[in-house]
Amino acid sequence: MTGIRKVAVIGAGVMGSGIAAHIANAGVPVLLMDIVPEGAADRNGLARGAVAGMLKAEPAAFMSPRAAKLVETLNLEDHLDRLREVDWIVEVVIERLDAKQALYRRIEAVRKPGTAVSSNTSTIPLDALVEGMPEAFAKDFLITHFFNPPRYMRLLEIVTGPRTDPALAATVADFADRRLGKSIVRCKDRPGFIANRLGIFWIQNAIAAADDLGVPVEEADAVMGRPFGIPKTGVFGLVDLVGLDLIPHTTRSLRAALPPEDAFHATFREMPLIARLIAEGYTGRKGKGGFYRLNREGGRKTKEAIDLGTGAYRPSAKVDLPELKEAKGPRAVLDLPGRVGDYAWRVMGPTLAYAAGLVGEASDDIAAIDEAMRLGYNWKWGPFELIDRIGGAFVAGRLAEDGCAVPPILAGLEGKTFYRVENGQRQVLTAGGEYQTLVRPEGVLRLEDIKLSAKPLLKNGSAALWDIGDGVTCFEFTSQANALDEQTMVLLGKAIKLVKAQYKALVIYNEGANFSVGANLGLALFAANIAAWGEIEKLVSLGQQTYGHLKYAPFPVVSAPSGMALGGGCEILLHSDAVQAHAESYIGLVEAGVGLVPAWGGCKEMLARWQGNPALPKGPMPAVAKVFETVSTATVAKSAQEARDLLFLRPEDGITMNRDRLLADAKARALAMVEGYAPPEPASLTLPGPSGALALRMAAEGFANRGIATAHDLVVAGELARVLSGGGADLLDTLDEDAILDLEREGFMRLVRTEATLERFESVIETGRPVRN
Amino acid sequence: MTHVVIAGYARSPFTPAKKGALARVRPDDLAAQVVRKLVAGAGLPSKDIEDLIVGCAFPEGEQGFNVARLIGMLADLDLTVGGVTVNRFCGSSMQSVHMAAGQIALGAGEAFLCAGVESMSRVPMMGFNPLPNPALHGKRPGAYMGMGDTAENVARRWEISRADQEAFAVGSHRKAARAQGEGRLAAEIVPIATKGGPVEADGCIRADASAEGLAALKPAFQRDGTVTAGTASPLTDGASAVLVCSEAYARRAGLTPLARIAAVAISGCEPEVMGIGPVAASRKAMARAGITADALSVVELNEAFASQALACIRDLGLREETVNIDGGAIALGHPLGATGARIVGKAAALLAREGGRFALATQCIGGGQGIATLLERV
Repeated sequence: MTGIRKVAVIGAGVMGSGIAAHIANAGVPVLLMDIVPEGAADRNGLARGAVAGMLKAEPAAFMSPRAAKLVETLNLEDHLDRLREVDWIVEVVIERLDAKQALYRRIEAVRKPGTAVSSNTSTIPLDALVEGMPEAFAKDFLITHFFNPPRYMRLLEIVTGPRTDPALAATVADFADRRLGKSIVRCKDRPGFIANRLGIFWIQNAIAAADDLGVPVEEADAVMGRPFGIPKTGVFGLVDLVGLDLIPHTTRSLRAALPPEDAFHATFREMPLIARLIAEGYTGRKGKGGFYRLNREGGRKTKEAIDLGTGAYRPSAKVDLPELKEAKGPRAVLDLPGRVGDYAWRVMGPTLAYAAGLVGEASDDIAAIDEAMRLGYNWKWGPFELIDRIGGAFVAGRLAEDGCAVPPILAGLEGKTFYRVENGQRQVLTAGGEYQTLVRPEGVLRLEDIKLSAKPLLKNGSAALWDIGDGVTCFEFTSQANALDEQTMVLLGKAIKLVKAQYKALVIYNEGANFSVGANLGLALFAANIAAWGEIEKLVSLGQQTYGHLKYAPFPVVSAPSGMALGGGCEILLHSDAVQAHAESYIGLVEAGVGLVPAWGGCKEMLARWQGNPALPKGPMPAVAKVFETVSTATVAKSAQEARDLLFLRPEDGITMNRDRLLADAKARALAMVEGYAPPEPASLTLPGPSGALALRMAAEGFANRGIATAHDLVVAGELARVLSGGGADLLDTLDEDAILDLEREGFMRLVRTEATLERFESVIETGRPVRN
Repeated sequence: MTHVVIAGYARSPFTPAKKGALARVRPDDLAAQVVRKLVAGAGLPSKDIEDLIVGCAFPEGEQGFNVARLIGMLADLDLTVGGVTVNRFCGSSMQSVHMAAGQIALGAGEAFLCAGVESMSRVPMMGFNPLPNPALHGKRPGAYMGMGDTAENVARRWEISRADQEAFAVGSHRKAARAQGEGRLAAEIVPIATKGGPVEADGCIRADASAEGLAALKPAFQRDGTVTAGTASPLTDGASAVLVCSEAYARRAGLTPLARIAAVAISGCEPEVMGIGPVAASRKAMARAGITADALSVVELNEAFASQALACIRDLGLREETVNIDGGAIALGHPLGATGARIVGKAAALLAREGGRFALATQCIGGGQGIATLLERV
């Protein structure tokens, strides 16, 4: 098999259609098939309905409407022979061995030899799936276990059997890695593989312990969440999110498959409360609620939580545990006296022990088990990283105190840690007690790895510059939420000088959750409160100048965002020679939301891009209207593909699906531009002037009349209209970049002096959302 | 005085903009098919025609250049036939009829093709480059006021309730659906060839429109307003044409005139309540013909919005059963430039069909105007 150009997904349930959608996101055509329900008028109805559902899913399953067109909706009765067209068949049908095997026999009759066939089973061993199947089938068969939702969860567990063709498995793994952006964790053919086996153990344990110790669900989630680097949904919130009905189902199949001596059985108990909730339709967020619910009685929304003791809903209480707030790190929480510390240990002690027991059982690779929990359950630290943080001796000691068996790998630590850094390289302990250097897959480059051995070329409180080899440097934002401030601009200015003198290219990249959320509003609010208007204007100018220097620097600049790139974080992309964006990039000029206009060149660059777009009608207005529409509504692209449609990205900018490959791709792009590099020509713009501004204001007033835009939105829209239409320009004038920058700065300064804009700043700082004033 | 008659009428199906079956048809192609069919149906040599006068509210893009001349060539009219494009916004193609009538009375031609076209899919309202004059806007903001806002103003000033507007809209759909069902629209419709096959039927009519359904809609223009998408005419693609000639020519060419033009009028009004424009224009036309509203057997009153249509019916004292007998623009659609020729042609055809002596076709015009054409039985 040479590559994967077309895929079939069989089973159009939530997982199947989600997998199909994500394969389409990679630009690969998909055949989505399901059965024909008896008497169905539309024989492709199940698949068609699933795609329609995916188009409405929140968070979005498709990265663009174009992707949806790549999914062909078919049925298994009329179109089975079309499986001949594909290179990979993903089976996502009911978790019943007989049903799966019956389907495999039908697949076997039509598929091309060498077509990969994989199951998304989460519980049935591969051994059982291929038993009695022809050799040729077993050779091409593997398990590919996706996590829900498939677009967003980065983990893919892969299980191969002794008869699986390693080259075929490698082809599927490579496709999943590069095209689907998944991190591959190879698992042994054991029940539940890694993430769910440990994750369900942890959930089951956490619910039982809360019940035993009388810990309210809110408190349980507060203890299990942030202190252990686990999402703030904790345990009960997580179960609500994935669905209560999933728990008994998965638990049952794990219990059936695991040997009696497995510790999983010891923590199991019947949960009549959960059974009752499911029966009453409280299946979690997809149902009427779960452990938490929103009670809409009496026209008010009240958040309620289940009392585990009585099984009745009660108003949800805000967790007020000062000791938990003060405790720094997981160890400190485990050390807390009383209910909080007891609960933390009752859950995490056995969970960490169970994880240690999985070495050699579910995987031989400690790092793989950690990766599975990081990416499958969004834990910040995997179990072995947690043990390193807590202290292996402490964990082993408390387990022994409790009379629990201490897993050999934990007992054998003897003061060592599971991970260490040796000669600038990260190493991990093997089951044999030796350290082994962690090797990244080919084409993966991480700044965190570089930092282990290197010192920054430049650094201040907000940013750093790194040498990432081959003459390429990397500018990293390092401030809180990667917010941009004067220090960022100062260091960027220095970086430009240094790169010009000594290096070939600059990549702007970081490994935060978000590339940058934009300018630091807290600092701006502070300056406004002391009426330091001059300082604010100086910072606006500094940003304009610095981004200008970046644009016209004599070397290529490639920005590589992932996560949010908003406001000033978007403007730096607009001033780069090229962007290599992670597919999950959320890019937008959101200044209008906080009562401002983009003033670090964002208006100017967007105008130039849209005026250069041949698809627009001629004349002075279409480009201006397009930018106005996008910026006045603070539109944020929900994927890198959507950012292309909005011209935040150019058509030729790159998209990387796998987060871990982003830096290497950006570096390669920068290096490819070095030879013969010439800075871009400055834009010159023809704008409509006051008539155009009036047309835009009239459009905004229409929105205000309909109650969609607020009074201050109109003020902001008026300033934006003035900037985008070129101020007092006549449509025979040609404006240079500086003229637009002046208009941006003037508009910004008028707005920042309004009460309503400052109210928006305050509300964003306090609540994360601008007030609608 | 030379008598001027309407001697033929045809139109394309009217279909919803962007999502309708004509969205991907160029407006010049659309109008040319209608014109070609009207000429062929009348059976007259096209060299007899003096001029093709085409109304269009936003004559740019694919309906730009001098689209009338281009439509003439697309329809293979004799090259001696002239072509002129006329813009009076929604009144454009009724203006075409008035110009033809004037020319005929002047002795400057005997037969005219008066057409109208608008692809609201392909050329947006306000055009691609709206550049309003800031000084005028300062002096008279209503000059550029959105049509929805003017409809709200009329609803408020004339105290037209939301429920009344919705009952009117339901009535429009019901009449149009019945006319369609009974095949009373097919005769005027020219099937349009498209890449997806011929399009033969109107696409905006909703036979299932109900007061309850309309009551659930949100106000479309003002948060506290009464006008919704259901009580406004939809954005529409369409073309229409009428054959206007002297009565003597009609007789010579063996045509059967549908109606004679008795009087025409135009009248400006406050732009903020442009929807009331038909009142003054119709009164003028009736005065010129020496009749009053009770003499009208047929009225085609364009339904830009239910609120303005109701206000006009009330102020003019029209009898409800005479108004928009086969449904109006709320149900059929309102392709701006094409509506005037449609309602003149329709009024003439209805007069021939229903009997009676006088018919009125009238409509409101953005910017504050009304236009009216009074027809008399031949």
